[in-house]
Amino acid sequence: MSLNIRLVVNGTRHRAKIEPALSLLDFLRDTLGYKGVKICCNTGECGACTILFDGKPVNSCVVLAADAAGAELVTVEGLAEGGRLHPVQQAFIDTGAVQCGYCTPGFIISVKALLDRTRNPTAEEIEEAVSGNICRCTGYTKIVDAIQIAARQLQGPTGLTSKARS
Amino acid sequence: MAKAEYSVLGTSIPRLGGVERVTGAGIFGVDLMLQDALSGGILRSQYAHAKIVSIDTSEAKSIPGVRAVVTAADAPDVRYGRTTIDRYMLAKNRVRYMGDPVAAVAADSPAIVKQALKKIKVVYEPLPVVLDPEEAMKPSAPALHDDMPLPKNLPADAKVKNVCSYTVVHMGDPDKAMAEADLVVDEVYETKMIHPQYLEPRMAAARLEQNGRLTVWANAQAPFAVRTDVAKLLALPLSRVRVLSTDIGGGFGGKASGITSGAAIEPICALLALAAKRTVMIVLDKAEETISTTIRSGAKLYIKTGVKKDGTIVARTGKVVYDAGAYSGFGAMAGARCTNMLGGWYLTPNVHIDGYVVYTNKQVCGPVRGPGGPQAAFAVESHMDSIAAKLGMDPAEFRLKNMPEAGDRIVGVPKLRDVSLGETIRIAKEKIGWGKVKLKKNQGIGIATGSWIESAGPGGGAMVKVNEDGSVTVHIGKIDMGTIPGFGIPLIVAEELGVPVSDVMVVNVDTDASPWDAGTVGSRGIIVSGTATRLAAIDARNQLFRLAANQLEASPDDLEIKDKQIRVKGTPSKSVPLATVATAAHTAIGEVIGRGYCDNKAMEAEEKAHGSSQPFTAHACIVEVDPDTGNVKILRYVAVHDIGFPIHPAAVEGQIEGAAAMSIGQALCEQVVFDKNGRTLNPSFVDYLMPTINMMPRIETTLVHGYPGSGPYGAKGAGEIGCVPVLAAIANAIYNAIGVRVTKLPLSPENVMRAIREQKKPAS
Repeated sequence: MSLNIRLVVNGTRHRAKIEPALSLLDFLRDTLGYKGVKICCNTGECGACTILFDGKPVNSCVVLAADAAGAELVTVEGLAEGGRLHPVQQAFIDTGAVQCGYCTPGFIISVKALLDRTRNPTAEEIEEAVSGNICRCTGYTKIVDAIQIAARQLQGPTGLTSKARS
Repeated sequence: MAKAEYSVLGTSIPRLGGVERVTGAGIFGVDLMLQDALSGGILRSQYAHAKIVSIDTSEAKSIPGVRAVVTAADAPDVRYGRTTIDRYMLAKNRVRYMGDPVAAVAADSPAIVKQALKKIKVVYEPLPVVLDPEEAMKPSAPALHDDMPLPKNLPADAKVKNVCSYTVVHMGDPDKAMAEADLVVDEVYETKMIHPQYLEPRMAAARLEQNGRLTVWANAQAPFAVRTDVAKLLALPLSRVRVLSTDIGGGFGGKASGITSGAAIEPICALLALAAKRTVMIVLDKAEETISTTIRSGAKLYIKTGVKKDGTIVARTGKVVYDAGAYSGFGAMAGARCTNMLGGWYLTPNVHIDGYVVYTNKQVCGPVRGPGGPQAAFAVESHMDSIAAKLGMDPAEFRLKNMPEAGDRIVGVPKLRDVSLGETIRIAKEKIGWGKVKLKKNQGIGIATGSWIESAGPGGGAMVKVNEDGSVTVHIGKIDMGTIPGFGIPLIVAEELGVPVSDVMVVNVDTDASPWDAGTVGSRGIIVSGTATRLAAIDARNQLFRLAANQLEASPDDLEIKDKQIRVKGTPSKSVPLATVATAAHTAIGEVIGRGYCDNKAMEAEEKAHGSSQPFTAHACIVEVDPDTGNVKILRYVAVHDIGFPIHPAAVEGQIEGAAAMSIGQALCEQVVFDKNGRTLNPSFVDYLMPTINMMPRIETTLVHGYPGSGPYGAKGAGEIGCVPVLAAIANAIYNAIGVRVTKLPLSPENVMRAIREQKKPAS
């Protein structure tokens, strides 16, 4: 038995015929080719596959593709606008928060979700927002720096892309 | 400081490849989309030790969509190994750990692979399982490798079994010195197996080309070692195998050591591709990785030290029992390193340490980040505090009392050139507020030090090609997993060739095109490829100057290169664009290609003549222990490191902070847990606990300047040493907080509570 679903990924409409047991992660990576959604633990523990699902961060490995019918999704591929990086993306590069870079897409999505909610997050809110994302390279120090810099960028007078360099 | 001397070295320019990583470009091994590729999967042993009576693959082969099923019978009768050649790519006649590869399948989809793996019928005859290396050493233990002789250098009176490697360290007359000591402290420490848990799963892909060659993709740290091993295990000429590296999502030594680390996933994948005559790709499941790929071994460390009343160390004896796992893997090297380091890095004139690396029915030891180092340092640096407590000395003072100086010998190092140890301790004390900070009840402060090798090892080369637009393409043999190709290498080229960092490209390893290299291992990225790249860039620059000299009517020696212009020193108006000269090369020498090589013989001679300039570090922390639950919270963490000249400071800090975090994980929670049958109880990330941001302190890193290393511009390797002092720094802070010495890792609530209870026992 297969299902027909429609959904929007990064503003693009997709229609697909899927198996009911297919995970949203496998659907995004293997069917639609969004390889920025990273595969790792497949148990919802590491956050590498984090995407925005109707604006909320979720681990796509523990969501069924079928449940995304009608949903609007954002993956890390959908953040840069017109070749200009999102301030969170830029801050991760500038601070050295990107070492191997495998956890980075998941972190960036979690941070975007946080900064969409509040542009002046407390240390506790930052910690909470990325507590489901594991990084094995950085020890988190430079990631926290990146989040704080991105938040400051977004507080800038003209919003999203004011001081972002690409 | 750096900026005055150099134009870009010493700055933290954003890494090359950063944009790809933050935008989600599919650049990692698991992201590969190869045309018409089959999925591959591996059947793993369900017994930790058993005879394979029979394997029946007929039912699996008959499933529609299955394109190949292979077992040891389909592979050449060839074994592999680093020091002891003791392992088949697919287990033959016998399995030795629960995770040993037994058979493999290639099929049209992952679902069919899974289905087929279930239909392979293996009849096992279980054999006795031995998990504890000390049990495995006993003459009564079952022999795990009947045809592997004991090491030839074992002491004649050693009655041991299953030992795959033995190391002895001996200096002076330890028995006499120990007898004459005022105080002897004798302790035993124990560390557990951890998995490096890089986030990107291991993968391999293989394609048989029309010309009969085999292309292999691997997210491995040592592509050339993979080429050697794949060719050997498939009995192919080396020239028929090409290995392509992808960008790598973390490795930490877990993806090093050739095919050993991935439990031969590359040759197994290649065997499937040859059998199916189709492209095959295998991606391991994370839980499968935890049970099958290489790990940081557990070790039991016996340590005994004799000191004088004034705190002078006079003797150290000890024994290391190092768990190799089911095969020798990287055990001999890691165990030897651990044995040497149990001698410490302080002045210790009389030493005897025996190191046994022992087979057990567990997964195999790999070169995980500072192999052998954190285990030894946990014992050495906890022990230093125990001695200081018995002497009534301040732990930092006791260390300084036994500090080596330039020219001194320490265990494993005949002569030290510079010794930054004292300065790292001094700075760590200052940063943490040693003796000054007010600690609340159940809070404690701890310090521990560490060192790491800088000795010469296998080398590698570099090629620096100057393109006709003045951009530069660099070929090295080291891969990018957040290490030098994106950070240090482009800076070195930009510095030497006067081009912007953004004009430098560093190419992924292709064994057909890249210079040979031993792999991204042993903190040797900057030393090997940094040195080679610097020399290659200088070679390219000299070629450019020779080409430009005529045109500028000057001697090549009088030229310099700045902002992509080659110009006469002192007369900047006399210049020619780099691009023009690089283009002119086409009709003169073909192309400007600089070559460089890290000359290890020269490095070795230098070290022999002037001594080792190895790095030192001191870490200090403040913890709070909940005496009712045993929970440990790190309140502050200071890491002070001498790594010579930091070519890319943010990259160096990142390495240190990541290494410290990995050891904080090992200290507080990480552990691969086995049941008595050798089954891993916590293979998935649900049960294998790793540090998340919630349990991590901010790591406050300080880089110490002024102690140049043997790398380019005085750099030292930085990838591993950050792991070394952490375990003891935390254990010492716990001791300072509640007066309890925890000698077994992890310092988990359970183990801390047990230590509290045990300490209360003899008093009552």
